[in-house]
Amino acid sequence: MFRLRRSKQAETPPIVPTPSSSAQTPARFLDPELLAQINSLELLARAVVEGFMSGLHRSPYTGFSTEFTEYRQYNQGDDLRYLDWRLLGRTDRYFIKKYRADTNTQCHLLVDTSASMKYASSSLISKLQYAQFLAASIAYLLNRQQDSVGLVAFDKRVHTHVPAHNRTGHMRTIFGHLSQLTAGNVSNLSESLHQLAEILNRRGIVVIISDFYDAPDRLKEAFQHLRFKGHDLVAFHVLDQNELDFRFDEPVLLLEDAETQEQMPVLPDVVINGYRERIQRHVDEMRRCAAANNVDYEMMTTKQPLDYALFSFLSRRAGKA
Amino acid sequence: MNFLAPFFFLGAAAIAAPILVHLVRRTRARRVEFPTLYFVRQVPQRTIRRRTLHNLLLLVIRCLAILLIVIAFTRPFFSGGSSAKTTTGAGATVVLLDTSLSMRRDQLFVEAQRRAETVIDDARNEQISLMGFDKRYAVVNRFSTDKNRLRLGIRSLNAGWEGTDYEQALRGAESLLAELKTTVPKKIVMISDFQASGWNHATATFKLASNIELSTIDVGGNSPVPNVAITNVEARGVIYGQKYVDNVAVHIANFNDSDVEHVAIDFQINDQTVEKRDVSLKSRDTKVVEFTGFNLNDGSNRCAIDIITNDFAADNRFYFTLKREVPVKALIVESPTRGRSDSLHLQSALTTDDDLPFTFTLKTAGSVDPANVPEYSLIILNDAGTLSPALADSLNRFVMNGGQLIVATGPRTELNSFSNALQSVMPAILTESVQTKPGESAAISEVKFDHPIFEVFQQSGRLAAAHVIGYFRSQPSTNAAVLARFEDGSPALVESRAGKGRVLLFTSSLGPSWNDLSLTPLYLPFVHQMVRYAGSHETNSWYGLGQTFTVTRDKQGSVPAIDTPTGARLNENRTTPDGDLLVTGREPGFYRLRYNSAPDFAAVDIDGVEGDFSKLDFGQFLASVTGGAGNAESSEAERKLSNEELEGRQKVWWSLLLLALILLVTESLLARRTKVVKMVG
Repeated sequence: MFRLRRSKQAETPPIVPTPSSSAQTPARFLDPELLAQINSLELLARAVVEGFMSGLHRSPYTGFSTEFTEYRQYNQGDDLRYLDWRLLGRTDRYFIKKYRADTNTQCHLLVDTSASMKYASSSLISKLQYAQFLAASIAYLLNRQQDSVGLVAFDKRVHTHVPAHNRTGHMRTIFGHLSQLTAGNVSNLSESLHQLAEILNRRGIVVIISDFYDAPDRLKEAFQHLRFKGHDLVAFHVLDQNELDFRFDEPVLLLEDAETQEQMPVLPDVVINGYRERIQRHVDEMRRCAAANNVDYEMMTTKQPLDYALFSFLSRRAGKA
Repeated sequence: MNFLAPFFFLGAAAIAAPILVHLVRRTRARRVEFPTLYFVRQVPQRTIRRRTLHNLLLLVIRCLAILLIVIAFTRPFFSGGSSAKTTTGAGATVVLLDTSLSMRRDQLFVEAQRRAETVIDDARNEQISLMGFDKRYAVVNRFSTDKNRLRLGIRSLNAGWEGTDYEQALRGAESLLAELKTTVPKKIVMISDFQASGWNHATATFKLASNIELSTIDVGGNSPVPNVAITNVEARGVIYGQKYVDNVAVHIANFNDSDVEHVAIDFQINDQTVEKRDVSLKSRDTKVVEFTGFNLNDGSNRCAIDIITNDFAADNRFYFTLKREVPVKALIVESPTRGRSDSLHLQSALTTDDDLPFTFTLKTAGSVDPANVPEYSLIILNDAGTLSPALADSLNRFVMNGGQLIVATGPRTELNSFSNALQSVMPAILTESVQTKPGESAAISEVKFDHPIFEVFQQSGRLAAAHVIGYFRSQPSTNAAVLARFEDGSPALVESRAGKGRVLLFTSSLGPSWNDLSLTPLYLPFVHQMVRYAGSHETNSWYGLGQTFTVTRDKQGSVPAIDTPTGARLNENRTTPDGDLLVTGREPGFYRLRYNSAPDFAAVDIDGVEGDFSKLDFGQFLASVTGGAGNAESSEAERKLSNEELEGRQKVWWSLLLLALILLVTESLLARRTKVVKMVG
């Protein structure tokens, strides 16, 4: 898994990536709409990750690179098994000896392909595309670190499952399946997660990329199920910006539910406040639900650069580490 | 409810516009796919339903506003089942058609005829009588159900020259309806331009019988036509000198509501322009333009005043005549006295003016030949003393045959002999002589200033300035009129007619014996006025249309032939007891009186007030005529107005437009507030 090594300057504060910090990087080509012009998902993932990594080198929060050091100063509570006794003997200073991470950690990328994920308002890419880019980028990043990556796509049921491996060529399989994903069915997220909890026997990291249109209570149970199976959960809540803003130019709309095809006449000016209040409440409940179940939760919009997601992902993993 | 312009209902099709827009915009609601309606559905839908109702309300308001505007344009009114068209039942109707002068303007009379025919066409089994009216009325058709005959009657009428008198017309119509013994519904339909001048509310006392309904049809419109007219000419019709020294006062009225600048006035005598003037008049103003100092030919002179305007032409010319006559003989009789004559002042006063109708001769009572008395037209007995019986008898006959006698007393007047001599013609019997105490005097205090003799003193009132030291008390006869009195109430000047003549008795002296009148500036006008009054005869310079004037016989006793202003020969056979001809002027212009010696003329003019086309106050008129006061009568009066008048009075359209405006403002506020223009169903 990720080897998050600290620099010799142990007092260096932990990295807290922010969108602004990422925006200051030169990797502006990580803009999802620009990336959408790259046909190959592999190339896209490479561009994202390499760009992201190079951006890290140049960022003021150095000391996060894998090329840094394998020692750090001992802190109270550290396992004494990893104390470098020789160095202690030579220098009379306490350093913890760090090892490269195990390479047999499995990561399962769970991508929601329900019909609601095909929504794209003014942006060029849909939520599903964003999920594909994000999944590909994370897969590339993990594969770069010799971790095993698997892929699961689901809507109301699991319809694609690529077991986790780190062998050569596995990434192409992942990318191949990712690029084939299409949205188009009714979702039952919590049920699918329960189903996956039964399928994924080996403990690992489970990255869920979804719009999470399900009742938080039911999702909470699903999270608990996965957590009970020993998985470490990361949730990327992907939404279109207009799903949050509910801005429409027309005074009247005939809204059609992407999954149920139900139609409803709506006056955006009338509904907007009530809608925003309710979607925000849902996001907040999702955030609380995730926090309560020790799930790394990040709410993303399809306009946000992918490196922001990677920052978020890595920083949270760093925190766990 | 009725409508004056129902074709405007076509505009109601405009309601389709907001409805179509509503429908079209409703179907244009775009279908948008959204990830989930889960949260949208949680928003209370009653808001949307309320908005739907809200937009429907907006649609209704817009439609209603358009409908109100359309109805306003149709000019609705509440008739209450009246107006000229609502002739119901087998009743009796008198159609009064205005034929006055004002109906000559534009096509008013043609329109009035058309409306009268409409009334006849709309009548069902109804007896209709047709009357024309101006200042008088004339029955054209008595009650009949023969519509063709009635229509012919209408077409036989023409607009005349006379003024308007609605009261006379209504009286005539009422009396005509009163001839019907049945109890059928009775109605009067009056078709006119309804000039304000045709009805004097201040003096009107006439009220229609309660069982007679009055309907009015106004063909004059609501905007009075501007007009400048000559309403009067004041002139002394007869003079005796060559130069006209009095003033010819021309009254010019501006009936416009705006000022009129530089109206040219042309004064003509015998078709020759004598003088031109220019006058400017303010709105509703009247000005008097005076002409004087022009010369006149002997005999009758045809005079005319023209104003050069482009308005109603009939009242832009005013005709009148000015006659220059030869003075007739008059005699002053005084007592034979030695020394200075007491008639010196009188004689001087009467010979200083060549514009008096008399040429005077002064004689003493003894030198007057009683046989020559009839040669004179006026005899003044100036303190003549005792009269011989022959002279007294001659004077009595002189008066009885039409002579004018002025008697002035004085110290030489003997009470008994004088009264006895002229008892049959004197207006008063002298009872006693009064002499004031030395240093005291009496004044002439009670004067009838409206009498022609004293009207010149009306402004100054200075007649009381004369000091009278002697006078006769007298007892006026029953047919006498006391024109002035002394302070003690004794008559100072008494007038009476005797036979064909007239006698004026001044109970003081016309010389300085008993008063200082002859030494004051009052003397000359006083004496002149008395003489003019005594010598006056009917000398109207013009007659009003419809007025009757006398055409006297010539010296041979025959009446002259008369030509009307249009040149037609007049066939009048009405005469006075003396055999003079009575002629009524029916046309404006000069009536030519073809005397053998020299032609004479009589000028006839229209009523200048007829040129004022201001509108009658209908409410006041109808309330007065129908005899009502208060609301009930007001509504009844209103019910009888014509459609246009009802609509004009009710002004329902105004309320409708106001309501429409309020609705549109409300709609605008609602629409702005909701920011929603269209709505899906």
